[in-house]
Amino acid sequence: MKITLSSYEMEVVRNKLGREPNEAEWMTIDALWSEHCSYKSSKTFLKSLPSEGENVVMGIEDWQDAGAIDVGDGWAIVLKVESHNHPSAIDPFNGAATGVGGIIRDIISKGARPIALLDMIRVGNLSLSRNRWLLKNIISGIGFYGNSIGVPVIGGELEFDDTYNDNPLVDVAAVGVVKKDKIVPSVIKEPGLKIVLVGLTGLDGLGGASFASRKLSGEDEIGAVQIADPFAGKIVLDVTLEVADKVEAIKDLGGGGLVVGITEMANGFGAVVDLDKVPLRVKDLTPEEILISETQERMIFAVKEEKVEEVCKAFEYYEYPCAVIGEFVKEPFIKFYYNGKEFVNLPSELLLSPPRFVWNVKKKVKSYGSKPEVGLEESVKAIVSNLISKEWAYSQFDYEVGTSTVLKPGEADAGLIALPNGKLLAIKGDANPDLCNEDAYECGKAIVAEAYRNLASVGAIGIGLVDHLQFGDPRKPEVYNDFIEAIRGIAEASKFFSIPIVGGKVSFYNENKNGIPIKPTPLVVMAGLVKDKYLRNKVDETYVTLIGFTRDEMRGSLFTKIFGSYGEVPKTRLNEDYLSSQLVIEAINDQSIIFAKDINRGGLIASLFSILVKGMGVEINLSRIPSDSEDWIAKLFSENSGRFIVLTSEPETLSKKAKGIHVSVIGRVTNNQNILKIDDKEINLEKQISNYYNYLYEVIS
Amino acid sequence: MKTAVIKFPGTTCEVDVYKALLEAKVDAEIVRYKDFDPDKYEAVVLPGGFSFGDYLRAGSIAASTETMKKVKEMASAGKIVIGICNGFQILVESGLLEGALLPNLNLRFISKWVYLKVVRNDTVLTKGLDKTIIKMPIAHAEGRFYLDDIEKAKRLAVLLYSDELGNVNEKVNPNGSLLNIASIANEEGNVIGMMPHPERASFKLTSPTGDTDGLLLFRGLSK
Repeated sequence: MKITLSSYEMEVVRNKLGREPNEAEWMTIDALWSEHCSYKSSKTFLKSLPSEGENVVMGIEDWQDAGAIDVGDGWAIVLKVESHNHPSAIDPFNGAATGVGGIIRDIISKGARPIALLDMIRVGNLSLSRNRWLLKNIISGIGFYGNSIGVPVIGGELEFDDTYNDNPLVDVAAVGVVKKDKIVPSVIKEPGLKIVLVGLTGLDGLGGASFASRKLSGEDEIGAVQIADPFAGKIVLDVTLEVADKVEAIKDLGGGGLVVGITEMANGFGAVVDLDKVPLRVKDLTPEEILISETQERMIFAVKEEKVEEVCKAFEYYEYPCAVIGEFVKEPFIKFYYNGKEFVNLPSELLLSPPRFVWNVKKKVKSYGSKPEVGLEESVKAIVSNLISKEWAYSQFDYEVGTSTVLKPGEADAGLIALPNGKLLAIKGDANPDLCNEDAYECGKAIVAEAYRNLASVGAIGIGLVDHLQFGDPRKPEVYNDFIEAIRGIAEASKFFSIPIVGGKVSFYNENKNGIPIKPTPLVVMAGLVKDKYLRNKVDETYVTLIGFTRDEMRGSLFTKIFGSYGEVPKTRLNEDYLSSQLVIEAINDQSIIFAKDINRGGLIASLFSILVKGMGVEINLSRIPSDSEDWIAKLFSENSGRFIVLTSEPETLSKKAKGIHVSVIGRVTNNQNILKIDDKEINLEKQISNYYNYLYEVIS
Repeated sequence: MKTAVIKFPGTTCEVDVYKALLEAKVDAEIVRYKDFDPDKYEAVVLPGGFSFGDYLRAGSIAASTETMKKVKEMASAGKIVIGICNGFQILVESGLLEGALLPNLNLRFISKWVYLKVVRNDTVLTKGLDKTIIKMPIAHAEGRFYLDDIEKAKRLAVLLYSDELGNVNEKVNPNGSLLNIASIANEEGNVIGMMPHPERASFKLTSPTGDTDGLLLFRGLSK
């Protein structure tokens, strides 16, 4: 077993403890002090994220598994995002599948019923066969688990970039619903409760938390990957919800296994655990292995003695193992016994307070060139060739189960699902690694703004978000600088929109095998409620109207990724995102638009392409695009924020309602299939449209 | 008809089916697999999901449970037995329906909305149906129906994958099923299995076109 503690940290332990810990104790400390469990390099800055709001039922508290937001009528949603990056790089099927299982158990830990999943997948260049293998197995792993447990995948992202060649990003977000007064905590409030463990403990996922907290070694680390058992996961889901109101606290055994779960649940109190009572999948596990195994589909419950029988009976109906393995006690020490002998005895305080780190920062020096010489047709075709339908992926997910999925995957810029109180919840995950690589601060703002616009495009207003911060090694000053800048941007934007951040996650050490960090990939997942009416996009021969102002700020765009970096970094003018989103929501509610799409990756052309792929043509007039530049490249490909394309037969209604934002009819939808006409230039995109529909099927087969 | 919706461990669609049956004004309740008493019901629905994880062939473990013995008793007593998706797989595995449901031709899970042509009107679900082409979603990895007796397959078929106009051809066959078969019934017509999910086409809000063709089928159980 590898220990990731530094010699400095080991010295801190010895000093605090006044003795040399034994091997099992070192492993215990290593798991609890891992970056994955302790957030030791990130916490100082994470605490700056705005986590409070009137609607926050449960925000970011230490060791709570997910945050909860009020959605009215006594109901709350529970929101969580997680990644399974390192396991998926080694065993993509099980890595991705257990990522789904883990997040589902985080949701049920709150007593909430999971109702939707999103997956945001980033893999390397698909011209490499290993990346195709990764993609294929990541998608089928997610499907395997999500389908089996009956939680619909209602949306997500799929992106390819060389930066992820050795280190794919597999992010999964989940939403659950729970009655506000039935939310179950993850930590105990009083000692004297029994520790009930359900599920079998096996040999997989040994030291996974520590594994996730260092870069991939390139050695055989398959033993650190957990194996997925969705059938067991489904039983755990059903029965945990059945017993949720009979227990005092629930915790999923995730990173760090039993030792971390129990210490975190004790929350400063103590615990005495007898490892002989842990039900095992295989005989002869050593006590150390039992301590840190990350076998999936296990939960711990803190239960009053008189309720233990009832709780275990519910699991035993499905022949699922359930055992009392110990007790939470007042004395603040975590103690594990094996064969009647004490072999771990550590103060809770020591385990829960690792030294925090604030690393050095340094600004990246970026070089960039001048505007490239490219033709109109060539550049339009190059951009839209990068836009592809994700049907190959989402058709492998059971997105209808639950009969609540209002907008299906691929149908809109946000997923939309019906809640038990009849309201509609929109949800979307957004990241922008190319922009973050240029300016992590502007990018932090931009991804929050993009999620806000995505929700607005279906008629919803954001009510809460969770973030996932994915970077390289934090000890590298340029990486740490990006990390801090991204947090600053996300915090500013969420403050501006008054959208609390109710949870989050940090994943460091994402690097390729040469030690080059991935492009900074912070990601946000925003949930919002439909105000009154929602929009199901339709296309028809009518006016193409642009809402918002186009700026010549090209850096970090898809255009510069293809043709070379130049120009300024786009600045996110948050108020423009707010005003344009309000206008779109208003138009959806007075039913004056039939189609809305925000402008993001690929610029205006990409948004127009989404009309063309529905079998229509589009013609636009460049002079009608309100912009700070006459440059056609900026007008067509700039990705600056605050903009939407809408289809409407009554553009003057929109203009009248606009406040502080440009509204301009820039063209029409035509029945001239495959033809994009820009001023007098007709471009036939038949080949690119066929590529849009077939690319993934062809590249994977 | 008093209808039981069976929940096996791993079943995922029991609540959806139950809600859709209520919407169709059917007297229904969800029953856990060990608690099932066949004498209390005139009809039983085996909903979709992954019974016992489906780690073996889909439906094969559920097929050998005590619960299925009771379902067989109901079938031979002429009561109504309906299997949807995994429920269809269980009916085939337990011999209540003929044929086999093989892995989809493209070997992957496939989730999409399909058109279906109704070709048999003597079952409780399709009797008196006005529409001949209905729309609902499928979601399965093992749904390729096969039977070595083609003439018999033709006779048993209830629903065929088709296009919007009712044309049945290879292009609209999502999984490689023999004769585009999506649903069959036994000769008597009281045991019906189908891969498509009528419960997912029973609510206006979640139907892309607003149609609720699933309810048209379930309505047969409300009498």
